[in-house]
Amino acid sequence: MKETNDAVGASTPRIDAVGKLLGKTSFPADLSRPHMLYGKVLRSIHGHARIKDMHVREAEEMPGVRSVVTAKDVPGENSQGVLYTDMHVLADKEVRSVNDALAVVVADTEEIASKASKLIKVDYEVLPAVFDPETAMQEDAPHVHPELKTNVLYHLPIRRGNVEEGFEKSQVIIEDTYRTQMVDHAFLQPEAALAYQDQRGHLVINVATQYVHWDRVEIARVLGWTENRVQVVCTAVGGAFGGREDMSLQPLVALAALKTGRPVKMILNRKESFAAHSKRHPMVMSYKTGVDNKGQLIAVKAKIIGDTGAYASWAPNILRKAAIHAVGPYKCPNVEIDSYAVYTNNPFAGAMRGFGAAQPPVAMESQMDRMAEKLAMHPLTIRWRNALEEGDTTATGQFLGSSVGLKETMLQAARAAGWTIDDQTGEVNSYG
Amino acid sequence: MAKKRGQGIAAIIYGTGYGNGFPDVSSATVEIHDDGSATVHTGAVDCGQGSDTTLIQIAAQELGVSTENITLITGDTDSTPDAGTTAATRQTYASGNAVLRAVRVAKQKLLQYGASVLGVNTPEGLEMVKGVVSVKGYPQKQMSVAELAFQARFSGVRLLGEGTFVTHTTEVDPDTGQGAPYWPYAFGTQIVEVEVDTKTGKVDIIKAIASHDVGKAINPQNVRGQIAGAVAQGIGYALMEEVNLGEGRINNPNFSQYLLPTSMDMAEIEPLIVESDEPTGPYGAKGIGEPAMLPTAPAILNAIYDAVGIRLNSLPATPEKVLDLLVSKQE
Amino acid sequence: MAANLNLKVNGQEYQIKVDPAKRLLDVLREDLGLTGTKEGCGEGECGTCSVILNGKLVNSCLVLALQADKADILTVEGLAENGKLHPLQQAFMKEGAVQCGYCTPGMLLAAKALLDSNSSPTKEEIKLAISGNICRCTGYDQIIRAVESVVKARERN
Repeated sequence: MKETNDAVGASTPRIDAVGKLLGKTSFPADLSRPHMLYGKVLRSIHGHARIKDMHVREAEEMPGVRSVVTAKDVPGENSQGVLYTDMHVLADKEVRSVNDALAVVVADTEEIASKASKLIKVDYEVLPAVFDPETAMQEDAPHVHPELKTNVLYHLPIRRGNVEEGFEKSQVIIEDTYRTQMVDHAFLQPEAALAYQDQRGHLVINVATQYVHWDRVEIARVLGWTENRVQVVCTAVGGAFGGREDMSLQPLVALAALKTGRPVKMILNRKESFAAHSKRHPMVMSYKTGVDNKGQLIAVKAKIIGDTGAYASWAPNILRKAAIHAVGPYKCPNVEIDSYAVYTNNPFAGAMRGFGAAQPPVAMESQMDRMAEKLAMHPLTIRWRNALEEGDTTATGQFLGSSVGLKETMLQAARAAGWTIDDQTGEVNSYG
Repeated sequence: MAKKRGQGIAAIIYGTGYGNGFPDVSSATVEIHDDGSATVHTGAVDCGQGSDTTLIQIAAQELGVSTENITLITGDTDSTPDAGTTAATRQTYASGNAVLRAVRVAKQKLLQYGASVLGVNTPEGLEMVKGVVSVKGYPQKQMSVAELAFQARFSGVRLLGEGTFVTHTTEVDPDTGQGAPYWPYAFGTQIVEVEVDTKTGKVDIIKAIASHDVGKAINPQNVRGQIAGAVAQGIGYALMEEVNLGEGRINNPNFSQYLLPTSMDMAEIEPLIVESDEPTGPYGAKGIGEPAMLPTAPAILNAIYDAVGIRLNSLPATPEKVLDLLVSKQE
Repeated sequence: MAANLNLKVNGQEYQIKVDPAKRLLDVLREDLGLTGTKEGCGEGECGTCSVILNGKLVNSCLVLALQADKADILTVEGLAENGKLHPLQQAFMKEGAVQCGYCTPGMLLAAKALLDSNSSPTKEEIKLAISGNICRCTGYDQIIRAVESVVKARERN
């Protein structure tokens, strides 16, 4: 035993480093079990289509194929989703995006499963689709989920003070629209999972995930089982960044193992991985901001539209977070924000590092620089003069009672850049 | 001059945790063994960001033992309690607090037993430092944690602890957006220097200074690693990454067309830590996973403007876009 | 139709029969059980499958198994000797160069291939040597520091 009282604050080498450095740490694709089969997913090739018919017999009859799992093999609920269960596990009537899975071919080898999946013939009737969120908000746009009678999934207004009065008092007003793109998590380890029934008859799923207990909820619901009979065990996780929160392979590999009665492993290649998980929401952000002649922020008005694609995933929470962070780390008495999450037939967007708070700074921090320039003010000065401190209130009226280290980060960064700042006036004495 | 340099700054706030009153709960259990070492169980999975090491450090600190004397079991629904998602920059704060509480419960049982053995009125009369339990004001009277733990089990006292932590937030008003939707908030400021090639439109990152308020750095090296990795993702977001869609199909689902930052795209990164000491956090900690990525892209856009006087209103700032704007600026 | 394949991997000789269509990566992982070598993209863009083949760094997803016949191969499992971590492994641990760990095996071998051919590389040479190996977690900073620290330790000795 080593006794010590200085564990916290020490740069202890990571507990997982040695196994990873020796190549001993197992990711899901590294696991195997006797008599294991391999599964391959067939996904939609259209953004929106009706499935008129799906012919699986040729695939089923290919030597080495053990089963083709489709919607009719789902014993429980054929639906999944972190907030709303709006995504089929296996679609059989309609596809709403290229993420939609239609079938899992289970075979003796990956190669056979892959070849057989290409033998499945799907008769699609392509339906009107919408791929742009602003178009999707218009009245005549086709509805991604017709039962909702709108593509607007979520709207949050933030109202504080009176922005019009704020703009009247402003010395400088900047107005512009900013757009951010869809990006992928691109974690290096593509999705993989292994499922089998153990000696108890319980279904065990080895998977790289961000939340084993949530995976269990989703899998149990799809199987129609109680949760105690589903065991989710997390392997090492090869990066996640939010892309392993929604179900990808978990229900599919569980269904495949259950139907065949054999262990089933599924490994996605990079292309399949791109189709299997969420993306960062592209956003359109229209900003109008005003400051007085001292650079004090007086009014922020913003409209933020996020494209969540065909499924909700975390979209309401993400667009809420975008709204709440729209003003940045600044005090502002007059705020009017409207944030919308909109369905389209694009690949679905969900959680990704920043979770809706990554996009608004692209707009707001550009606005800050542009207002500073009009006032002939250093970009750090305008930020310093508006920076939140302990005891301040945010745009949502929240009192910040502790640990507001913003100004310290400004000072520390400025010092490292060789800038000096007068902490009373915020004036910066040298630039670069 | 074909190549021009500029600096840009951006600052951010980041609400950690699920937020908005969404149930944000982490649980952990701990068992202190006969020799004073311990095993911690929690559902929190380490996705590579380092929570396993952080949680072990917290347990070790509270027990006064070295990190190699703590075993951590995570991410198994049959054997570990639910600790929520490894997301929202919440594991250090929420699961760190759960582990801390679990350890304190087990430790309290040990001290309770120790009070009877060492003859003090209540456990408050004892202190536990570096594996030794001693009487306050009379440290000559003491016992090692291991000896106490061993005796406790023989007396039928089990040193088990359960800890649950709930992060407190409130739902915002649906009509006005007013409320206290997150806690705690992390803050950060980054200053990035770029070099823009005015002939090709290519933007190179020269240096990225990234200062982040994490409350308390449980493991400073891991915090710096999170900051550097986040800056890299911010550079990818700002300059090269984009899922290219056509009729809802992904046209570039591979790494030859979906470009990621390589070592050659990276700047000199200077990760800096501010410790503001959050009273509700374990040892004052908040979190770092997400916030470190947020200022990078806007700081780069501001640096491009400083270098060549063009404003990009859309990401990513590809050489084509930069060149187009440079040409239209000259016209 | 299986073909004969002779390989020396991490100092050990193997004689196996393989499907001629198999990639070296599959043979290492499936036939030899050496799963330390990872697959990240399958097209030579990410470097997670990097191994050292006859002294040269290759992407094992782009090498057909039969092209490696009679070759001498080093994978991550062969880096440590007699239970002692290779200096690069020690440096990666000390400098915090490992996060999710999926790029780590390939990254170690890319660094080793560099140090085998250049005993005192500059920082730019290190960056270039690992530029075919993507890391999504670390921002490369601590990886580069780790390699630099091995170079410095060598220069001291």
